[in-house]
Amino acid sequence: MMVKTDTHIEEQIGEIFSSDAPWVTIVWDDPVNLMTYVTYVLMELFGYPKAKAQELMMKVHTEGKAVVSTGSREEMEHDVARLHEYGLWATLQRGDQAI
Amino acid sequence: MKSEGFKRHGSNSYVAEFAENEREILINLTEQIIELLAERIDHGQEDPLAAMVGITSHDSPPEDEVLHRLLPNAYQDEVDSAEFRRYTESTLRSKKQAHAMAMRMYLKSAEDGTVDLEHDGANAWLGAINDMRLALGVRLNVQERSQDELELLAPDDPMRGVYIVYGWLGWLQEGLIEALMDEN
Repeated sequence: MMVKTDTHIEEQIGEIFSSDAPWVTIVWDDPVNLMTYVTYVLMELFGYPKAKAQELMMKVHTEGKAVVSTGSREEMEHDVARLHEYGLWATLQRGDQAI
Repeated sequence: MKSEGFKRHGSNSYVAEFAENEREILINLTEQIIELLAERIDHGQEDPLAAMVGITSHDSPPEDEVLHRLLPNAYQDEVDSAEFRRYTESTLRSKKQAHAMAMRMYLKSAEDGTVDLEHDGANAWLGAINDMRLALGVRLNVQERSQDELELLAPDDPMRGVYIVYGWLGWLQEGLIEALMDEN
């Protein structure tokens, strides 16, 4: 017998089993945090080379936000928690969601 | 303000000298941050087992604007944010307190005013200084005011002193970052 499920449940189940649905961590611009500090935190927490960290920092500064890491939801929650620990303004969301 | 800020000494040593009044201001700020972060610690109504593993009944963001900036939402979606906060806010709070406590310890034991940090200590200082700047920044309304407006605060404006400390903390933080990034 076919079980009728609504699409919301199907989506949720799909999300659990799908390994290729990436999530993203976004850092938002903040008038208090120094540009050098944002660069340093991205280098320390993600191990990014200075050039990459500076590029992301500039994107945050000029565009108001930047995706700083991509991965599973759990990984992104971990990244956001570490960014919050160092005072950066960060959120996570599904990668296919409009930012 | 007299200190010349942090300078790198060798491979893992960052040294600064502080005048007594500077040391006192910094100690006072660490204590304010520790106290502020303790404000949301729950009293009595918690499930003790849940509290032990860091789960709190808090799922709404702090009402105080400063505390809200220190403990921000992790999702733009309110429901997801509330769930995340319930499981993580107390950990975030203690990590931030640990940064401020470490900074306070260094300052308390630096009776001659000389502070000597290794890499991990420096990161704790950076995190704690940043929390102070965020807190003062909310009070100064940095979000709304331009740099010029802040520079032009009248000498008798009560916020003038706050702005001087805010600026000095930024200078101190910047110097420590430069010392840390100096690869030579």
